[in-house]
Amino acid sequence: MNWKPFAGLLLLAAVAGAVYFFQGTEQGSAGPKGADGKVEASERIEVPCYVGGEKSRYLKNPRVQEILAEKYGLVLKATKAGSIEMVTTLPVEQMSCLWPSNQVAVELYRGRSGVPPALAQETIFNSPIVLYTWDVVAEALAQEGLVESRDGVQFLTGFDVLVGHLESGTSWQEIGLPQLFGKIKIFSTDPRKSNSGNMFSGLMANMLNGGDVVGPEALETVLPKLKSYFERMGYMESSSGDIFENFLKTGVGAKPIVVGYENQLIEFAIENQRHLEMLRQRIRTLYPVPTVWSSHPLMALDSKGKRLIEAFEDPELQQLAWTQHGFRSGLMGAQNDPADLPVTGLPASIEAVVPMPTAEAMGRIIDGL
Amino acid sequence: MWTACRGLKFLILLSLALWSLACGGEAPSGPGAESTSKEASRAGSGGVRLTIVSGSENKSLEPLVVEYGRQVGADIEVRYQGSVDISLALENGRNADFDAVWPANSLWLVLGDRHKVVKHEKSIMRSPVVFGVKKSVAESLGWVDKSDLRVNDILAAAEAGKLRFAMTSATQSNSGASAYFGFLSAMAGSPDVLSIEHLEDKEVRDQVRRLLKTVDRSSGSSGWLRDLVIQSYDRFDAMVNYEALVIEANQDLESRGLEPFYAIYPIDGMTIADSPLAYVDKGSKRKEELFLGLQEHLLSPTVQASLGAFGRRTGLLGLDAGSMDRTVFRSDWGISPERVISPIPVPEESVVRAALELYQTALRKPSLTAYVLDYSGSMRGDGIAHLKTAMGTLLDKEVAQRYWLQPSQDDVHIIIPFDGAPRAVWQAEGADSADLRVLLNKIRSAEAGGGTDIYEAVGEAVEQIGRYENRLADFFPAIILMSDGKSKGSLEQLETQFRTSSFAYDVPIFSIAFGKADESQLEALADLTSGRAFDGKKDLVKAFRAAKGYN
Repeated sequence: MNWKPFAGLLLLAAVAGAVYFFQGTEQGSAGPKGADGKVEASERIEVPCYVGGEKSRYLKNPRVQEILAEKYGLVLKATKAGSIEMVTTLPVEQMSCLWPSNQVAVELYRGRSGVPPALAQETIFNSPIVLYTWDVVAEALAQEGLVESRDGVQFLTGFDVLVGHLESGTSWQEIGLPQLFGKIKIFSTDPRKSNSGNMFSGLMANMLNGGDVVGPEALETVLPKLKSYFERMGYMESSSGDIFENFLKTGVGAKPIVVGYENQLIEFAIENQRHLEMLRQRIRTLYPVPTVWSSHPLMALDSKGKRLIEAFEDPELQQLAWTQHGFRSGLMGAQNDPADLPVTGLPASIEAVVPMPTAEAMGRIIDGL
Repeated sequence: MWTACRGLKFLILLSLALWSLACGGEAPSGPGAESTSKEASRAGSGGVRLTIVSGSENKSLEPLVVEYGRQVGADIEVRYQGSVDISLALENGRNADFDAVWPANSLWLVLGDRHKVVKHEKSIMRSPVVFGVKKSVAESLGWVDKSDLRVNDILAAAEAGKLRFAMTSATQSNSGASAYFGFLSAMAGSPDVLSIEHLEDKEVRDQVRRLLKTVDRSSGSSGWLRDLVIQSYDRFDAMVNYEALVIEANQDLESRGLEPFYAIYPIDGMTIADSPLAYVDKGSKRKEELFLGLQEHLLSPTVQASLGAFGRRTGLLGLDAGSMDRTVFRSDWGISPERVISPIPVPEESVVRAALELYQTALRKPSLTAYVLDYSGSMRGDGIAHLKTAMGTLLDKEVAQRYWLQPSQDDVHIIIPFDGAPRAVWQAEGADSADLRVLLNKIRSAEAGGGTDIYEAVGEAVEQIGRYENRLADFFPAIILMSDGKSKGSLEQLETQFRTSSFAYDVPIFSIAFGKADESQLEALADLTSGRAFDGKKDLVKAFRAAKGYN
């Protein structure tokens, strides 16, 4: 498999990025401030922006809004939109920025004609695609040798074997789960409608290609397999939030394994602190080896958008994103300490990452499904 | 049917709800609890009106919702419709005449929300769809503690005449639709997911048709079905319904000293109702805030616990949240929280629609319907016009199709127009558009005039149905009686005829009151036959649709 060189590339970029990050935080950015050092209400400006729904809880966090307003004089007017539609079809004339949840979107926007170009672009957060499952399922997968626990983190090292099971229609019973009816499945959102499902389809395409990034030629053989895989899913939710909620509420029989973002369980655990113990006992986060990053590139379309990028580089806003919402910093060189969080089983960094197929390849995948 | 038992539960629930509102701020870490006090004090909800359209299975929870409204100074109204009707109504988008929906399953939101007006969708509670079988019957079938019972076992028992069961219509009610999808999946050999190919498979169709043929009684609503099997206790061995409604029925039956139902979970035909409460966005910020407050309230730990006392599965995780009260989820009723429930996967939207169409036009047990229609003088004007429109929605295939009420090839339609006496008998069989049009033209060209005698007209309907007496078991027979006046004659005279008939009491009368109808007369006829009385005074067309949905 071929993701290790990419991880190296990330590291290289991290060194370069650290310098930028340092400079970025040095600039005191906003307009006139009152006696208390806060930007006065009358001086604050509104920044209209399309934002992927995954970030809505973070952006509604009162402390986040307070920092944006008082320290940077910015009021984010977020309109929830899908990552793909905001860069391809939605009108952007009134918008100062676009904030999708994957890097492919940046590429797609670059190829769109008749719209203002992005003046600046910065990956503010990252969150790996993970699999959520239940204690009994994780244990059965470990028994089969597909899941390895390292420093308390559960890695799906046998992802390729699991994909083989999905293809061949192995039943749950055959991997030691007779209480679950039917064949092994991983449920995701609809790749045509939702970002996490879309990214999972890219990851699956790579896995069906022996773990290598799918290019135009490989797609010929991979696409029919991918299509038959998704056809077996039936109805798929169209929002990552919905599938996560259904996973939790309908239980192990209905949704044994689902695809999600790493930050979803963290955010949920923080909001439901009193149930932490139960969550720890019952729910497992599996890190596929390899996985893909859902990154959150903020694209500025005007000067207000650029000011917003600067603001989100603020250390406290970055820290809040991690400690209360589980988003890893996308800023180069920034570290996230799992010890800051009430949830266990989080790795300090994600090493095994494979790039998503190109925007063009993803376009063909979506059209072909 | 508001029994003493349920009345008591109402009080308990109400006091819990009040307690939760008063003490909501006490628990420091729960977002739900915290918000309760916040919402209660929110002045913004004062005077706001919120209309929720809900499935009938939520009826026993209405006090919780209404009381919350009272506490925040808002007016919250709950109306009841089948899941399919909720889905259809949602197709009106922003023109819908309600602000929130609470169907039994999120599937109906997916099907209905074509204009993307639904938001803030959250599951309030879960309940699996089960076979509630009288315990002694379950015992004699060897089904008690059998953990791998399959849909085919149910087919075998029903075909052997050992299981008389009732189930709601798959095209009108979510519990019936859920069971039907379970049947299809099981008979298709439990594929990953149902596809159009499975629906076209003759073998699958035949098997499912056989199973549906064994259904003894249909219904348009799960809540009413629960009441029916309690009321007509001796006539059924089982019902397909939500686990929660089996629990409710059992609580009722036990208080009457009757044998309870034992819940059976066929492993290859399981489904779970997830009861999503969702907002219909028509642009009012104040309504939206009120809605969100209500939703948080229903999801707060206290209210979730009280929903658990009503047999709903609640809580944060899975279907076996620790707080399940074993005096409610009783293992001697076959209900075990430890059992893992693996529902069949929901098929794609196009497959769902095709399957419902198939049910309505080909697989369900056919209807033998006698429409007994009042053409008396008082119907002149609007009345007769509404009646003709109503019959058009049932007999004009294209209109009927919109409501999933289209006829099948084997349906029988008998029309008996009456005034002081039955005027005629018009009849058609099957689903041929031309035949139905002839029937409809007769209905449309008749004029109003004369007096009213519902008893003689119903007697004529029984006579007509009697012509099918030797194959009555192949049909869901029903009399749909509409009247707008006070009838001469008497029930006693009709009962004399009923007593000499071998089947008359088994043909439910669905009566529809219109205009100045004497409701007590119509209700008495419905009661006599375990039918149901519908109020058509506000909307006659809707009442006809609803009544037909029970047949």
